[in-house]
This record gives sequence, structure tokens and C-alpha cells, in this order.
Amino acid sequence: MKYIFYFLLVFALPMRLLAESSVNDTQIQVNTLISGSDSLKAVAINSLVASEKTEVYPLLSAINDKKLFLYNNILITIGEKLSSDIGADKFKILQVYPEYKELTSDNGNFLFLPISELKEVEFSRSSRLLLAPITPYLNLLSPEVEKRKLAYSQFQGLKDKAILPKLYSALAQEKHQEILRLGRETIFSIQLNSSPAASHKMWIDSLTLNWGPNTQSILEEYAAAQSNPELKNIASAKAEELQTKHERLRMFQNVFSGLSLGSILIMIALGLSIVYGLAGVINMAHGEFLMIGAYTTYCIQSIMSPTSDLFFWVSLPLAFLVSGIWGFVIERLIIRHLYSRPLESMLATWGVGLVLVQIARSLFGDLTAVRTPSMLSGGWEIVQHLVLPYNRLFIIFLSAFMITATYLVLYKSRLGLQIRAVTQNRRMSSCLGIETNKLDAMTFFLGSGLAGLAGAAMTLIGNVVPDMGQTYIVDSFLVVVTGGVGNIAGSIVSGFGIGFLFKMLESFFQAVYGKVLILTLIILFLQYKPKGLFPDKGRIGED
Amino acid sequence: MKKYLTADSLFYILLITVFLIVLPLGNILGFVSNNTISLWGRYFCFAIAALGIDLIWGYTGVLSMCQAFFFCLGGYSIAMHMLLSATGKGVYSAAIPDFMVWNQVETLPFFWEPFHSFGLSLMLALALPAIFAFLFGFFVFRSRIKGVYFAIITQALALAVWLIFLRNETMLGGTNGLTDFKSLLGFELSNPKTKLGLYLIAFLTLCGTFLFCRWLVNSKFGKVLVGILDSESRLSFTAYNVVNYKVAVFVIAAVLAAIGGVLYAPQTGIITPGRMDVKASIEMVMWVALGGRGRLKGAIIGALLVNYLYSVCTSLFPESWLYILGILFILTVLFFEKGFWGLIEMLEAKLTGWSPAKGSESLKANV
Amino acid sequence: MLNVKNLNVAFGGVKALDLHDFSVDMNELRVIIGPNGAGKSTFLDILCGKTQADDGEVTFDGNPILGKKEVDIANLGIARKFQKPSIFGSLTVYDNMLLAARMPKGIFKSMFFKISSELKDRIYQVAKMVRLDIHLSKLAGNLSHGQKQWLEIAIVMLQDPKLLLIDEPAAGMSDEETYRTGELLTDLAKHHCVIVIEHDMSFVEQIANRLVSVLVRGKLLMEGSFAEVRNDQRVIDCYLGRTNTQLE
Repeated sequence: MKYIFYFLLVFALPMRLLAESSVNDTQIQVNTLISGSDSLKAVAINSLVASEKTEVYPLLSAINDKKLFLYNNILITIGEKLSSDIGADKFKILQVYPEYKELTSDNGNFLFLPISELKEVEFSRSSRLLLAPITPYLNLLSPEVEKRKLAYSQFQGLKDKAILPKLYSALAQEKHQEILRLGRETIFSIQLNSSPAASHKMWIDSLTLNWGPNTQSILEEYAAAQSNPELKNIASAKAEELQTKHERLRMFQNVFSGLSLGSILIMIALGLSIVYGLAGVINMAHGEFLMIGAYTTYCIQSIMSPTSDLFFWVSLPLAFLVSGIWGFVIERLIIRHLYSRPLESMLATWGVGLVLVQIARSLFGDLTAVRTPSMLSGGWEIVQHLVLPYNRLFIIFLSAFMITATYLVLYKSRLGLQIRAVTQNRRMSSCLGIETNKLDAMTFFLGSGLAGLAGAAMTLIGNVVPDMGQTYIVDSFLVVVTGGVGNIAGSIVSGFGIGFLFKMLESFFQAVYGKVLILTLIILFLQYKPKGLFPDKGRIGED
Repeated sequence: MKKYLTADSLFYILLITVFLIVLPLGNILGFVSNNTISLWGRYFCFAIAALGIDLIWGYTGVLSMCQAFFFCLGGYSIAMHMLLSATGKGVYSAAIPDFMVWNQVETLPFFWEPFHSFGLSLMLALALPAIFAFLFGFFVFRSRIKGVYFAIITQALALAVWLIFLRNETMLGGTNGLTDFKSLLGFELSNPKTKLGLYLIAFLTLCGTFLFCRWLVNSKFGKVLVGILDSESRLSFTAYNVVNYKVAVFVIAAVLAAIGGVLYAPQTGIITPGRMDVKASIEMVMWVALGGRGRLKGAIIGALLVNYLYSVCTSLFPESWLYILGILFILTVLFFEKGFWGLIEMLEAKLTGWSPAKGSESLKANV
Repeated sequence: MLNVKNLNVAFGGVKALDLHDFSVDMNELRVIIGPNGAGKSTFLDILCGKTQADDGEVTFDGNPILGKKEVDIANLGIARKFQKPSIFGSLTVYDNMLLAARMPKGIFKSMFFKISSELKDRIYQVAKMVRLDIHLSKLAGNLSHGQKQWLEIAIVMLQDPKLLLIDEPAAGMSDEETYRTGELLTDLAKHHCVIVIEHDMSFVEQIANRLVSVLVRGKLLMEGSFAEVRNDQRVIDCYLGRTNTQLE
């Protein structure tokens, strides 16, 4: 109940402010801005600034940013950019007056247009300078998230009661969750520091409920300055409460990051592990198959409509296929000649990787990115300050899917039975009529395909670059080694183990030293279990 | 049957006439540029490191993927000495190297202190890699990590130390590495005569290390190394402590790499973490593979040839260097297991009807 | 000389070996027979340190050997010849034998090793015994299978061990070669303790001068002279259908 009350407090005030304005005057002046001469425009700007009407602020903000355009006689500005390779960059179109909102195209999607289809409304530098006194307020309504964030933070530092009405009205327009919280925090902290002591308890509660990014330090600062012992205690108690909560959440976040890193490592290690188990080949070009998967996604994005999310879902199976085929071809051409020589095959596959990276560099240049599908952008906010990004969640899910699929293929299918048979005893299996040759190629296809799938998923969390395969590959090797030869369960356990350990250590040390420590731990671990977590037992496999 | 002009003797004759007579004389007479001299001087350093790799990988069959790290340990040690000996003469006339001034460091970190003295620096340049290789090798070999596992562990080590050297707070110059050396033992490094001197030292050291390695592989020790490659278990059941031998050869290889590094830094004028990443180590192995593993001459030829090819290709067609290297490498591993020198030996055998398998009367291994 | 008590080995829950009491005397040649999977090779693996036992007590010459490393066991004087010849393929026959010969085997000793004329003579002598004296400069990898078997026997002999563990020495040999191998082994047994695993019954008959032990499913079924073992109904039973032909 309390909560609702505070929100009313936030939104009721601006409503009152809006009601007072007279629309007609403003409309005239806005029209002047579009069609008037430079001097008339200046006059119009001046009077709009002087009127202090907040509904024109988005418009003024666009003028200030030099981003005011006309589109179908509507005053608009441009928002986030949509990159694409074909044609010019497109931007999201936002109407600025009479209402501040996103425009939609006929099919209901947000409207994206290139600059060339817009007509810029130009202003002289001197007219723009007229906006200077209210620039901070304009930034509150800027289409750029970062600018708005910065503006609120600045006001938070100023602690000026006079700006409260403007903050209220700007916040009423705000839709971004994070900025809403920051804005409310700003308002509450200004209120707390300027209103009479009787209401302080209420503002402290509001701050705590809202729990913005700086709440803890605001409360601590307040407690330090406050002379009233009761209020002082309340504030510091609340600050402490937030601190414990924060630590608990950070713990959880760490666990989640560990899970996410572990998933990535496992995704990569799965393919490696199958191939290693069957053929004894550590495929140094495995990271490059991942890269191929990522570039497949990139290509499909370029071919298909960039505004829809479909490209990503299409590219997942295709990435598997394309990488798999590459793996198949390379196995047939090169690796099959090297099965009895594991170290040489390691070096040869490294050569393959070198060539593949160079091919990618020649074809695609150095840096490209895949757009995150809108379904996977953002995050799932479980509680305040605990946001689990959808892309990470997707990767965890995908890795679980890959593990299950691999398990099913290996343990429930005929192909899997054959793979396991060959893994245990190649010669005997071939005596039993298993075509080991075919099976090797199939396994390589499977392993490389898995890497490709991982690569498609990796586009969600990073750029697509020719040597992206190198980022996690050494860690994945370690996962395979720690897990034990060609043992999937081992890879999973060690993948999560290394992922968690790394994230835990990272919260104490620098990431680099965490890595060194993990390597040391693995070497120590291998002192006791030289063949990994789940070694093969018995006489076979020696020497 | 005695023959005088074999591929073997041809190798020695070419090596000595070209690098000890033609190039230095040409430099003195002015038709070989200083640049060429210091380029080849650097290649000799790589060749020294390659000898070590050949010992541990070519002869013993243990694939170490962190040799570039040992190379850089040597390089950094001598670089630290050169920087310290130039302190006070830098831009800031501070008692510490310039890059520390940029990082707002005021006092010299304690571990830089020993590098004031040249002798101590040289000793540390070789002792540090040796000690490191000993400890690391002892723990790893003791737990019977071998083959692919060892390759991966050393690769991870290379990655980890590379990351450490990249950091600024380790006081080793971060990404930029150590550079801007002025002089070594009072000799101006920019002076062409110093360059020629360093070139000759590098070449003679290469010859020295080659002779040492040749002696080593011809001794019973060398046969034990080959024994490790062939059948490690047979060796243990014949009462050889394989772990000790592996650690020993790992240490020797590390020291050889470090010697290369010590000679490399003053000739190049810069040493950065880029010289010690995973890629650098594997490339070193590739030199040996291309030149011919299990043959000391192969290691030298590989290091010289690949690096020469690199400098030629990058200036002629920079885009395609990695294609050439990658494909050359794949082909070598696939079809020429014994590398370039193996090819030459094969050709020689074809031409003269002599083959090492049929046996020479001497019982010495081919080197 | 060799005493084994309550030895237990299991691979992944499957009992591979369960020996209560087993011993071999000085200068004895003991033959172990048994069907496939009886644990014969595993037993030798434990004696030479290749495999670790789960439980039990094994002493050789008064020294406990369980838990010791291969090198230490080799230094105690136990040498092993494997079923599949294990030699150094890319070294010459001579070098193979040189590496095996009994001498200090530390790193520096190896680096500064100078061959003595006695050792040279000994190598030639052993090479002659195994008929490899004309192949000394050949690469061991290029030998025939039978020659590799002999080379490994030579390697084992040059170690001057007190106990030789020989795993199927006659496998892949011609009759004539097999006979010679038998002679060689009986000769060795005059001064050494030898344990031989063998399937070939005529070969066993040739070399078994005292006791033959029969291992079945990891357990010692019986011990006795060759004649006793051959006529024992239990032994015949467990070979029936499998290696019956080898018995008769």
C-alpha cells in the first residue's frame, strides 16, 4: 500500500503542472520553429524557454542535439541506430511534439528510417545557444539513455529543491526502468535533504523501497550529517540493510555468472571432447569452427530482413550445419591421415585454424557484430538489482539443450553406440563391422557442428571477429583435460567447476590472477588425478 | 665408403661461408645493410630457441607450447638491465625507467634491483627460466601428464603468463613491453659496429649451442631421450627415471630459449608480451616442424628459413603470409614428417643410394 | 624370493586378481597358465609396478614392492618382458641393448657415459645368444616380430635382474624360434628367478622344470608339476571349449 502511495506522489504533481498550460500559444510558436526565419525561430525558442512548459522539452532537446527532423509533417527526432550492411544505417523514429512517443509503421513494428528520408529542421548556432540555460533539463528528455542518466545524476548532486517540478515532469515521460529508478532516487534524496524533519522518515522509506544505484551512500551521508539520533539510526540501519541485501545479490550474481561462463565453456568443450575421445585428436581449429558458426549468423542477418528476429533462429541450425560441413571436409582432407599421431594432428589443426582465420579476415574484415534479437535483449529482473540478462539465460538454456542432445545421440542412438564402441576399442570395433572411417567423419561433423552452434550463440555476447575462437579455446582445452578423456560427464562437471571457480576468484582477485590460480589448481589436481575426473579404468588405454 | 660432399658438409660450408664471411664482410664493405645484419642476427636467436624445441619435441616427443615464454624471460631480463643502465639519461632524468614515470611509479620495484648489474642480469636471465622450468616440469611430469595433456597445460601456462605480463601493475611495461634501450656494457646499440658485434656473437652462440646439442644427442643421454619418444614405459622398466630426464630436457630447452631471448632483445630494441603469447610458442614449434624435427640442423634451417620467408612475404604480399604459413605447415605435417632437412636427406639418399635405415658403420645417431 | 599374500586388484568393481598365497624360489622357473582374462598379465603388471594393487602384500628379496614406482622396482632387480614387444624402434639394436645394460642411470652419468670394453663384450655376447649379433646396427623398428621378441629378451637379460617376468615370449615365433627361446629361458633359470606366462602347452612342457601355476578368474586354481596340471580335471574343465586344443 505504502508503495502505491509514493508513486502517486511522483505522478500526481506533474499532472497538475500539465493542466495549466495553454496549448494554442505553444502550437503557434512550434509552427514558427518549422517555417520561420532564423530571427523568428530565435524569438520562438526564447519564448518557449521562458514559458517553462515541459511538454515542449523533448522538442527543444532535439534542437539542442541537432536532431530535429520533419517526417510527413510530424516533428520527430531519431533514437537508437540499427546497423546493417545493406544500405545506410537506420534509426528509430520518435515524435517529439505534441506528444513524445515512438512512431510505428503500418504493420505495428517500430518505425526505422535512414536519415536520407528525413528533412532536417535547421537552427543557427546562436538560436541553439538560447537553450543553454535549460540544457540540463533538456537532457532529461534526450532520446539517448546515457545522456538522461547523466542528467539525473547531475541533479542528484546539486540537491536543489527548485528543480523538483521539472524532474517530476520529465520522469513522467520516462519509460526506461533503470532511469525511472534513478530519477525517483534523485527526487527522494532532494526531498529528504530539503523538506522538514517530520517527513524525513517517509523519504528514507521511499528511498529504501526504490533502492536506486546511489541510495546506500545517500543514506550514509544523511546519517553522518543528521543530528537527530532517531533519524540517524533509522538511516544507518536502512543503509546497512541495503548493504547486506546487496552482498547477497552479488553472491547470486556471481553464481549466475559462473553458470553462464561454465555453459559457454561446456558448449565449446562438448565438441572437443567427443572428437578427442573418439579420435584422440585435440582439434586446435575448434575455436575457428565456432567462428564459422558466428559468421554464418552474421551472413544470415545480412541476407534476411534486419528488423525481424527471425534471422537468429534460422541461423542456429544453419550454423550447426555449416560448421559441421567444414569440419567434415577438413577431417576428410587432413585430419584422418593423422589419427595415430595426436601431437602432429594438434599442430596440423592449428595450421588449419590459421588459414581459416585469415579467410574470415579477408572476407569480412576485422570487426562485425550481430544484432541481438529483441527477444533476447534486456533481462529478467527477479528482484531489484538482480537482472539476469536474457542472452546469458539463453546461452545456459542452449548449453543444456546441447548437452541433452549430445547425450541422446551418444547413449540412445545407433550412431552413439558405434561412437562409444570405437572410443573404447577402435580395432575391435572395426572387426565388428563398424565403418570407423565413416564414423570418424560423422563425429567430426558433430563436434564441429556443436562448435558452430556455440558460435551462433556467442554472437549474443560479443563481436564477431576472425579470431574470436581464441578467447575461450584454451580454457575449453583445460575443461577437457580436467574432465577426462572424451568423457562428457567429466567435461560438464569440470566446465561448471572451472566456470564457478573462476567467477568466485574473480570477485577476490583480478581476473588475470584468478586465471593463474586456476591453472595452478588444475596442475595440482592432476597430481592426484592425472587422467582427469573420470578416467578410463583397466588395461586398455595404456601407452 | 667415404664421401666428402654430403648434404651434411654442404650445410656446414654454406652456414659458415654465408653467415660468418659473406654477410659480415659485406656489411663492412657496405653492400649489406645494417638492417639485414641485425635481421639475421635475430634469426640466429630464434634458431637457438629452436634447438631447444628440437631437443624436447623432436627427440623426446614432448610437445611444449610455452617456449616463447622462456625466450621472453631471457629477453626481459636483459632488457631490464639495459633500461636500468640508461636511467637518468631518459626524458625525465629519473632514476627509474621512463615507462614507470608514466605509470606514476616513484621508486624502483624491488625485483628490478638485481638487474643493475650485468653479470647478475645474465645469470638471472638463464636461472629464472631454468628454475621455472624445473618446478613446473617436476610437478607436471611427476603426475605423468604427457602427450596432448602436456601440450595443453603448457599452452594454458603460456596464456596465463602472457596475461600477467600484459598488466601494468606487474611493472614490466604492460602491453608496450620494454623498449628504448640505449647501450649494453657501454656499447651504443645504435652503432652499426655494435650491431655487427651482436650479430657475430649471436652466430657464434648458435654454433656453440649447436655443438652442445650435438654432443648431447650423441651421448647416452640423447639416446634416452629418443627412448622416451619410442617407449616411455620400457625405459622405466629398464630403471631409468623418466621424470628426471624429462625435467632435465625441459630445463635445457628453457635455457636455450632464454639464451636466444637474451641475444634477441638488444638486437631488436624492444621486447613485448606479444613475443610470448600462445601463438608465438606454437610458431616456434612450427619452425622446427618445417625444418625437420629430430634433426638439429633441421631446427636451425627451419627457424632461419621461416623467418626469412616471413620478412620476404610480409613485404611482398602481406595478406597472404598466414595462408602460406598455414598451408606450408599442414603440408609438412601431412607429407613431410621429417621436414625440409628430411627432404634433403631423402634426395641425397636417392642420388647416392645411401640410406640411414640401411645403416652406416658408425653407431652415432644422425643429427 | 618372491612372496605374495592376499593380493587384491579390481577394475571398476570387477575383481581382476585375488591371490592368497603365491611364492617363487631362488633360481626357479615358474610357468603361469590360465585362460584369457585370468589375470596373468595383470599379475605381472603389479609385480613390475605398472598397475597398482588395491590391497595385499608382495615382498621381493625381503623388500615390499607394492606402491613402489617402476624405476625402484627395476632397481630391485625385477625386469619385465611384455606380451607385445616393447623396444625402442628408432634406435639401433645396439643402442637398445646399451640403454638396458646394468649401470648407473642418472642424468649426468648418461651425459658423460663412456662405454667400457667389458660392456661391449657383454652386449656382443648377449646379442649372439639371441642371434642379433649381425643386426646390431639395424634400427630396432625394422626387425621382424620374432627378432623384436628376442631383442626384448636381450634387453631384459642385460639388466642383470634377479627376477625376470616374461609375458608370452613365444607368441608369433616359428617352432624353431620357440624352441630356442625355451632353451634360452631354461638357461637363464640356472642363475635367475623367472616367471613365464604362456599358452603354448608344448612350450610350457619344454620349460617347466618344477611348478606350473594355474590362474582362473583371478584366483589360483592349483599348482603342481606340468604332468599334474595337465591331468587335473578342473584345469581341463576351465579350458574346455576355449583352449582345449592347446592342452592336448
